[in-house]
Amino acid sequence: MKKYQLGEFEEVVMLTVGILYKDAYGLSIKKEIESRLKRGVSVGALQTALKRLEDKGYLKSFDGEATEERAGRPKKYFQITALGKKAMEYSKSTRDELWRAIPKVALELKIVEAL
Amino acid sequence: MKTDSNHPPKLFLKFFRWFCHPKLKNSIEGDLMELYQERKVESGKLKADLKFVRDVLLLFRPSIIKPSGGYQQLNNYGMLKNYFKIGIRNILKYKVFSFINIFGLAVSMSVVMLLVLMLADQHRYDQFHAKKDRVYRILSSTPTGRQAYATSPFGLASALREYPIIEQTTFLSPGVGGDVLYGQKLAEMKGYFAEPAFFNVFGFELQKGNAASALTNPNSIVISSEMAHYLFGADEPIGKVVDFSDRQLSFPIESDGHGAPPVSWGSFTVTGVIDITSYKSHLKFDALMSSSSLPLLYSERKFGDASNDWENYFRTYTYVLLPEKNNVSELQNTLNDFVKRKYADITAEQTKDFKLEPQRLTDIQLGLRGNDTNNRMPSVGYYFIGFLALAILLSAVLNYTNLSVARALTRAREIGVRKVNGALKRSIVFQFLSESVLVAWLSLGVALLLLLVIKPAFKNLWVNQYLQFELPQSISTYFIFIGLAAFIGLLAGFYPAVYLSRYSPISALKGAITKRGRLGFRKTVTVFQFVISLFFIVTSILVFSQFRYFMNFDYGFESRNVINIELQGNDFQKLSTELGNVPGVISVSGSDIIPATGTNNGIQLRKQGTTGEYNNANIIITAPQFVDNLNLKIVAGRALVPNESDRFILVNETAAKKWGYKNPQEIVGEVFESNETLEVIGVVKDFHYLLLINRDGIAPLVLRNRPQQFQYVSVKIASSNTALTISQLEAKWKQVDPIHSFQYKFYDDELSSTHQAIFDLVAILGFIAFLAVVIACLGLLGMTTYTTERKTKEVGIRKVMGASEWGLVKLLSRDYSILLIIAIVIGAPLSYFANNLWLQTLTNRVEFGWGILLLGIFILSALGVLTIGSQTWKASKKNPVESLRSE
Repeated sequence: MKKYQLGEFEEVVMLTVGILYKDAYGLSIKKEIESRLKRGVSVGALQTALKRLEDKGYLKSFDGEATEERAGRPKKYFQITALGKKAMEYSKSTRDELWRAIPKVALELKIVEAL
Repeated sequence: MKTDSNHPPKLFLKFFRWFCHPKLKNSIEGDLMELYQERKVESGKLKADLKFVRDVLLLFRPSIIKPSGGYQQLNNYGMLKNYFKIGIRNILKYKVFSFINIFGLAVSMSVVMLLVLMLADQHRYDQFHAKKDRVYRILSSTPTGRQAYATSPFGLASALREYPIIEQTTFLSPGVGGDVLYGQKLAEMKGYFAEPAFFNVFGFELQKGNAASALTNPNSIVISSEMAHYLFGADEPIGKVVDFSDRQLSFPIESDGHGAPPVSWGSFTVTGVIDITSYKSHLKFDALMSSSSLPLLYSERKFGDASNDWENYFRTYTYVLLPEKNNVSELQNTLNDFVKRKYADITAEQTKDFKLEPQRLTDIQLGLRGNDTNNRMPSVGYYFIGFLALAILLSAVLNYTNLSVARALTRAREIGVRKVNGALKRSIVFQFLSESVLVAWLSLGVALLLLLVIKPAFKNLWVNQYLQFELPQSISTYFIFIGLAAFIGLLAGFYPAVYLSRYSPISALKGAITKRGRLGFRKTVTVFQFVISLFFIVTSILVFSQFRYFMNFDYGFESRNVINIELQGNDFQKLSTELGNVPGVISVSGSDIIPATGTNNGIQLRKQGTTGEYNNANIIITAPQFVDNLNLKIVAGRALVPNESDRFILVNETAAKKWGYKNPQEIVGEVFESNETLEVIGVVKDFHYLLLINRDGIAPLVLRNRPQQFQYVSVKIASSNTALTISQLEAKWKQVDPIHSFQYKFYDDELSSTHQAIFDLVAILGFIAFLAVVIACLGLLGMTTYTTERKTKEVGIRKVMGASEWGLVKLLSRDYSILLIIAIVIGAPLSYFANNLWLQTLTNRVEFGWGILLLGIFILSALGVLTIGSQTWKASKKNPVESLRSE
């Protein structure tokens, strides 16, 4: 369990970086999360998460091109590392396992109740 | 509106740039800007601004903020290695200059190191006392005295005990000086009377015995372990009873008192043994006698009771211990208050404006005072050596600075290349400083070798038998040396580093910096060095001639073949009769002091029946033979004769003159009163009986015959076969006093030894002068070498055009010769006036004429001309083909 630690927001960021593949830099990640999950993401929160993930070795980054609207500042692109991939897989598999462990009745009952 | 209105709020952008981690800054700022532009298009500037501000504020979180300690652990190893390599290569490439720099710095450093060692040695003293920061010695001072006395009134310790701000007091009274006897074994023992509080105030511990009670009971004695070993061998010393006879031996320093016939003080019980040699302290003693033994000695009239004698502050040392929380100024106030009350009705001459002051225990070793407990170097000695060391250190440092700046051209290209490659001014400064520190550390290595030579030389100086410097090199002194060298390196390299780093890369690479950095600066330095050298040369010649003057001084009496023998308490009449029987002895005399060797006693007298002031005079108690023995002349009246009343005195001519008698004849027959009445029966021709360095020259003198006060027997012997005569004298001594050893000195030797300290001064000054001159000449050598090298081509061309060698030498030497002349013009009057300052204070002084000054100038010029000439001559002799061929 201790081996791969991935918080909820961190996992979202990792997944988004995966979705964007070659186009994952700060702003595009922010927009992607906002549009897909309909939730607001502050630059600060995102950057903190990115830095932490990079420190853990799940993401790696490289400087990209600078554009005029960025006032000449380079974009910083992120990529999932092999370790990052393992962490994501681990996180997914634990959830799946948990899902599978839920008795079907429990969920069905809930649905009935909800109806 | 501002033109840059499509920018986000500047303040917040600045704030962001300030706090953001430098590694993240660019990419995040890019994101922010991109986002800002989009938002502005979408929802207008105001909203975009507000959102920007919100984003920036939300970014202000620990993981984004840069760490305060700097984020980059940049490894400068490569660059440092490069600096080091270039530094070493430069040192090896310019061997002459490196030698001049390293040698000069090493020489001056070794002198500074010697001083550091001396101070380190002295600082080890009195560090072992657990309460050392709270213990103070009380000093006595009067405005008329040259320095404060280490001693204080005897009763002070017990009187101060009443003050609440003082935790504890204790006194040490020297007065124990005599023979200790145990069975058949006899030894001389010197020490203090001490109180039980001694072991509370000081950190001395007893090897054997109980410190709390060792000094409590009367007739208890604590002895040194050597004494215990000598007296009792391997036996247990505690509880042994020894007999002690007082002989009033001189203690703690040799010139205190002279001994008297033995008086038994009775038996003493050994209550403690102390290993005194294991302590480095200003206090040294063979024994401590319990102060409770004193009352009995008072009542038996064997020891003077000074408890209520507040006028005498010359014998006892008082120490006070302050409480944990203390205030020294409060102690001073207490002492002032005490003096005010105690001395209100005391009107003695020596207690006029009397003052008591505290001296910290740990400051005692370096703060020698009058009547101190041992011989140490006074602080002025350290200042003196420090001044000398600094003077030559400065000279060596200036050499480095001077040569580095002069040779700036050799480094200009390098600096240019470095700057083009992005070196900051800072890094160039750092490079040159590291180079100079490197040179300084190499010098340190050489200096340590030099120290191996000068340390023993210093220890062998005559004065060191009194000062006892040990000069051990401990780890901490090495650290000080390394730090010192680094500091010297920084000092030497500072100006060149700043100067060289200022070069603009373009002109440096073009070679446009061809000439003269600060020729004015360099000239000033050279002149300064030679002024200092001249000063030292003149001073050492002068001190040496003063020394020779003293050694050959005509004292006005004949000291040849006179042997002074310490009486050591023996009866003068008996001994003089015995010694007089030895063949070869011409006459035997006696006296209480030996004239002109530093000890003087005073007497106050005035003409009987008058009420005026008393006249001060010195007094020597002498046997009647004294006059013949020293070949003195009686100019009026008659000499003393044996076995007459001791009211008859002789005076010297100065006394007669000073007291208003124009003709020596007139004073004969006059009666004077001091404590008793004295009648002048003769006038003796003036002779020098004070130390020659004494300011008074010849002061009024009284000679009086009181055999019971004699301390010395003076024997005049025939000059043939002195060794035999002395052995016969010794045999006679053995008959009279089988216990004590025969102690004698030739008067001639005694007189010259009073000037040995001056000879040491000559040795030190001469050495320093030598170093100063060597360093200055090395600097000059470096400068001339450099200039002549730079002018090789010019010399070649001139030679081809027909210039004579001599003319070339003149041409090349002119600049530096002028400097030498300027240095002499400044230095000669300076050395003349500065040296006259101290010379004028001496009464018996050598004539400081043109001779000494000219000799100094000649030595300096000869060395300077030799240095300059050697280089310029070499350059002008060179075959022009060689210098012109290569291009």
